[in-house]
Amino acid sequence: MAAAALSLCSSLTPKLPHTQSTAALSLSRPNLSFLSHSLSSLTLTARKQPSLSFTVKLTDTEAAVSVSEPEPETESPVPESEPIVETAEVPKREEVFAVVMVGSRQYIVFPGRFIYTQRLKGANVNDKITLNKVLLVGTKTSTYIGKPIVPNATVQAVVEEQALDKKVIVFKYKKKKNYRRNIGHRQPITRIRITSITGYQDSPFVTLDS
Amino acid sequence: MNKKEVFKLAKGFRGRAKNCIRIARERVEKALQYSYRDRRNKKRDMRSLWIQRINAGTRQHGVNYGNFMHGLMKENIQLNRKVLSELSMHEPYSFKALVDISHRAFPGNKAAVTPKKEGLAILL
Repeated sequence: MAAAALSLCSSLTPKLPHTQSTAALSLSRPNLSFLSHSLSSLTLTARKQPSLSFTVKLTDTEAAVSVSEPEPETESPVPESEPIVETAEVPKREEVFAVVMVGSRQYIVFPGRFIYTQRLKGANVNDKITLNKVLLVGTKTSTYIGKPIVPNATVQAVVEEQALDKKVIVFKYKKKKNYRRNIGHRQPITRIRITSITGYQDSPFVTLDS
Repeated sequence: MNKKEVFKLAKGFRGRAKNCIRIARERVEKALQYSYRDRRNKKRDMRSLWIQRINAGTRQHGVNYGNFMHGLMKENIQLNRKVLSELSMHEPYSFKALVDISHRAFPGNKAAVTPKKEGLAILL
């Protein structure tokens, strides 16, 4: 419960300074009165917020979150800052995309975005990985089509999270045989964030002419 | 499965299937059987959907799905149908390049021409 409440706070706090600072404060006060006897963890965080000023409150909650969930929360500011820089340079559209093969599945990837793949064994969080099965690279003006792969083209990525997918209930049932099995399954997955696509420039390509 | 879990899964069901345990358990079990089956069927359904999308995309350039895939196989381009359908929707120029390559894989084919769309102007 406590972790969930903290993560809720973390998801709310970035919105606070822009628009809803006063609204959030006024909302947090009813929480005090309503949930004071039911949910102790929620009220603890709610009590903290009104007592402190805006800036101090933000830093305090962020610090608390980073202590509670060290790995995913500490990474996320770094990749979040990267797309902002990219969007500042490039106005709207991504310059380049690639089709890459990860774990016998093909994904269309863009730099700055993340994808969920099958669990990459042996990869730790924050590892930099290179995906070299690039089947196609597309830029604004030209397309590099691999037969079957684009030579020397690589996609760099960072492992962000080793997680489990949503639970799937595997219910097996045979009629008239008194057979039923109820098994839960969570597929291990890995979240990787694409940082760059490189090395494709020398290979043959098709330019956009029409 | 205990009662609590059954009712949790039966949320949103119609009639008594959402609040009477005997009926709810029956419906939930059936629903889980369907979801088990349909996780397998989803693969076929998606594949046929991708094929339809690719077919729609290639026909805009005057090539049908079968010839397009045959050309790709001949050129040893191993993009799967999921990726091809997404390219046909969101990356039309890259997709056009693929269509051209697969069309040119067979000597004797002329350059793929986009069929001209003629509406009711012929009749008038």
